[in-house]
Amino acid sequence: MKCKANWLVVTLLAAAVLAPAASSQAADTSEWLCEYCPFESGYTADYSVGVTSVSEDSAYIGNATGYDEEGVYANLDGQGRYANDSYRWRWRLEDLGLDSRAAEVRGGRPGKFDVRIAYRELPRRRFDSTATIFVQSTADTLSLPPGWVAAAQTTGFTALDANLQNRAIGSDRRVFDIGGRYLRSERLSFSADYRRQESDGLKIRGGSSFTSASLLPMPFDYVTDEVDFGVRYGDARGFVSLRWYLSDFENGAAGFRWQQPFSFSPPLGTGTFEQARAPDSRFQQLSLATAYAFSAYGTVLSASASFGNIEQDTAFLAYTTNDNLSPEPLPRSALNGDIDTTNIAIALTSRPLDKTRVKLSYRFDERDNKTAQDLWERVIVDSVLSGDPELNTPYGFERATLRLSADYDLFASLRLSGGYDRKEIDRDFQEVASQTEEAGWGRLRWRPSASVEIDVRGGTSQRDIDSYNEVFAASLGENPLLRKYNLAYRYRRYGDLRLSWSPADLPVSVSLSGRVADDEYTHSQLGITAGDEFGVAADFSWSVSERSSFYLNAGVESMQSQQSGSEQFAAADWYASHDDDFTTLGAGIRVREISGDVDLQLDYRRSDGTTKIDVDTAEPGTDRFPDLRSELDYLRLRLNYRRSERLGMSFDLRYQRFETADWSRLNVTTVPQLLSLGASPYDDRSLILGLGFHYRLGDLSPAVSQP
Amino acid sequence: MKWIAVVIVAIALVVVAMASADGQETDYSRKGADTCLSCHDDEVTLAIFKTVHAVPSDSSGPFGHGQLQCESCHGPGDAHSGRVRRGEERPAIPHFGSGPVASLEDQNGICLECHKDDVGFGWHTGVHPSDEVACADCHVSHAPADAVMQTSTQAEVCFDCHQRQRSETMKAFSHPLLQGKMDCSGCHSAHSDEAATAFAQQTLNASCEQCHAEKRGPFLWEHAPVSEDCGLCHAPHGSNHAGMLTQRAPLLCQSCHSASGHPSIANTTDGLAADLPSQYLLGQSCMNCHSQVHGSNHPSGSKLMR
Repeated sequence: MKCKANWLVVTLLAAAVLAPAASSQAADTSEWLCEYCPFESGYTADYSVGVTSVSEDSAYIGNATGYDEEGVYANLDGQGRYANDSYRWRWRLEDLGLDSRAAEVRGGRPGKFDVRIAYRELPRRRFDSTATIFVQSTADTLSLPPGWVAAAQTTGFTALDANLQNRAIGSDRRVFDIGGRYLRSERLSFSADYRRQESDGLKIRGGSSFTSASLLPMPFDYVTDEVDFGVRYGDARGFVSLRWYLSDFENGAAGFRWQQPFSFSPPLGTGTFEQARAPDSRFQQLSLATAYAFSAYGTVLSASASFGNIEQDTAFLAYTTNDNLSPEPLPRSALNGDIDTTNIAIALTSRPLDKTRVKLSYRFDERDNKTAQDLWERVIVDSVLSGDPELNTPYGFERATLRLSADYDLFASLRLSGGYDRKEIDRDFQEVASQTEEAGWGRLRWRPSASVEIDVRGGTSQRDIDSYNEVFAASLGENPLLRKYNLAYRYRRYGDLRLSWSPADLPVSVSLSGRVADDEYTHSQLGITAGDEFGVAADFSWSVSERSSFYLNAGVESMQSQQSGSEQFAAADWYASHDDDFTTLGAGIRVREISGDVDLQLDYRRSDGTTKIDVDTAEPGTDRFPDLRSELDYLRLRLNYRRSERLGMSFDLRYQRFETADWSRLNVTTVPQLLSLGASPYDDRSLILGLGFHYRLGDLSPAVSQP
Repeated sequence: MKWIAVVIVAIALVVVAMASADGQETDYSRKGADTCLSCHDDEVTLAIFKTVHAVPSDSSGPFGHGQLQCESCHGPGDAHSGRVRRGEERPAIPHFGSGPVASLEDQNGICLECHKDDVGFGWHTGVHPSDEVACADCHVSHAPADAVMQTSTQAEVCFDCHQRQRSETMKAFSHPLLQGKMDCSGCHSAHSDEAATAFAQQTLNASCEQCHAEKRGPFLWEHAPVSEDCGLCHAPHGSNHAGMLTQRAPLLCQSCHSASGHPSIANTTDGLAADLPSQYLLGQSCMNCHSQVHGSNHPSGSKLMR
């Protein structure tokens, strides 16, 4: 009997394996000469030389683009490619005259190897009208200017105006990337990639001194090296791969010092304070992945396991710069931070029935923080020993996520889907040790005709916690009634809708999507108590003719949250609402070959953001903050003129306006206890005009004529 | 019991026979690409020869020796290229034609057959196959420079479906996607992977730390949410608040902090510049002092101020 059963199983398996193989039929290609195939051979390159005029200084408009200063910029762009029977190469030069320049070469021998080498810069521009009294005396020290008159409040800074120096806040990132892949055979491949990122500049860093603070233009210089090696063996059925990833971060120095501009009686420490910079760190990860596609039911099973480690052993700074204080010696000279990370994933998809698709996935992520704990003294503003040593809390967590979903094609035009998700998180050293979130959802996709699709989805989720440890919260000084946003019980309902219409007989397409969500934090007396979200977005595109098209998109979005607090460290005695509203609009046209040799491209974008904040306290009436507003307008017109096959010209006009109304930056210099950098709300506008000349070199012609 | 075994074997043989019969219904064209190009000689079609899909020496590519050329991807074309009677509709090419006869899953399977190495087997774990997204919805295999493969144009392709994300990137503070200086794939894995995640790295945080490694730590004094989920405080697609924060400080901070003293104070309009300007509200708000919100490695930095 057992023998018969085995025989049956073998027969069925053979059938399952043979069935797909039998469906593929070999073709006789001996006469497929590809005589008319215009394979390319040779090279071609298009270069563009131009000048661009920028009408105004603007950090916001220059952010990422490099057009941050008024003036004239020379620029060079280009791209090209080389091809022969075996190799393909392409290169690209972009904005070489700007701080956003990029260059890239990629190519190789398809089927054998490919390589890539790239370099790019990314300017980060935040403020260009900021100013400071601090003088950068060394790479890691900001000093007060000679003759500085310290005072208890900024109103007493009589030497302020005379010593303010403009200091733009921003940075430059340079990224060098080289990598490639070698295909040893159809089954075996190797890959390697190296990337180096350098980022330096000034960022705003708050420097505290009891009740006063100074905003400091802190210089920084980061270098991150990444290495990625991989090997993979596989065929059409399955594969196994191994990957090693390294990310090494280096900071220029461990600390950063500044002199105190405020006066205190008695004076605070030595008058020079110190902060720690982000420490050097190293992350390594080994990943093993595999997958197999079974013949039966279109089943695919995949799995991956990654094991990583983060190390950090930057030498600690001293407790204080004040030699008159004698704290206990540091428990150790460096953190010797040691975190193991584990990420395991398994996913299975299958079609057990013709009209049914099921999917099951499981993920496990762990951050096992093995950093040792010690008691640390605290020196408050380099003046006072706190006398209450504190234990460091090396946070770690385990997160397990299970997802199960199924699709069923009720009709050819109607698909029903449903799913269940469960997420469990266990944490160390936090108020909630264990929480579980379960979610259920359903979805309907209906295509009543070939041109119309309706997609509706809705669901709920509930996040439960085992218990909120109020004693632990109190030990941190927090109000026991507070429920931290990410640790609180939450019930969420949401719905999504998407409609699209693309008629075959009309050159238009329309799509509309919407979303509503509602969060209830019913167990939270303090903290976030409710939230809701609403959004609608619409797209319209119209192919006016073979050579012209038009698009329009628009969006409306609203996100609200309610929260409460307690000044009396008891039950809620104040309530706040935070309401973000956005509207966005984009439109544009494309016209090719106007009068035969001119292409036109016109784009317009607008976005408006408004944040309304209300605070209700024991005082009568609602305290409404002035609206926080941002308005962004962007217009771009591009005209390309082809003088000949090789020669062309372009005209590029860009107008951009960005304005904000922001009470947090309005007259910020009047705050008595804050020496700011004077960053004010944005009021930027700039007209950017560019003229370019294009020339095509080379002649990448088909090796074979067309029939 | 014997008759059950006979029935099962018979069913299995029928399955094999039917599958074989399916394969015989369609034949390949007589001359391969030369047959196709005799009609399809337009610029868009011929652009395939400017791509890596058409390299004669690539034995595994569609135009390599012994390969099926156009029909590698488009499927057997004999019926489509053959003579049709007057008034009779020309049969559609099986895959990627104007009236595809193959299912979306089959068409994606054509691409995945060769692109298992770069797309991997992870495709099935993502949301795109569930959403019935075709490879051809994003990729143009005939284009010499596929828009979704270029940093400067990729986001626009993604935004065709991800309308909400497009709106978000148009907000006042966002990553430089609209400027064409960053692409979606810097953070996301559109093809998903065996790790069943939509991120470029194993987790959201690991993806962010590719460019923001200084936030990684570990620090002596950590800020708990930072090590778990950057998205608890940041809206990476865009926000109305600098730093792409989800909310304006101090309310953002007060959603988790309510210690006695200034953290629990209701900051009202009394603290604005026109009244009694408050350092708890203006400038960087809480970060005027607690500037090390991502963590501090200073021995005296437990309050994230140093």
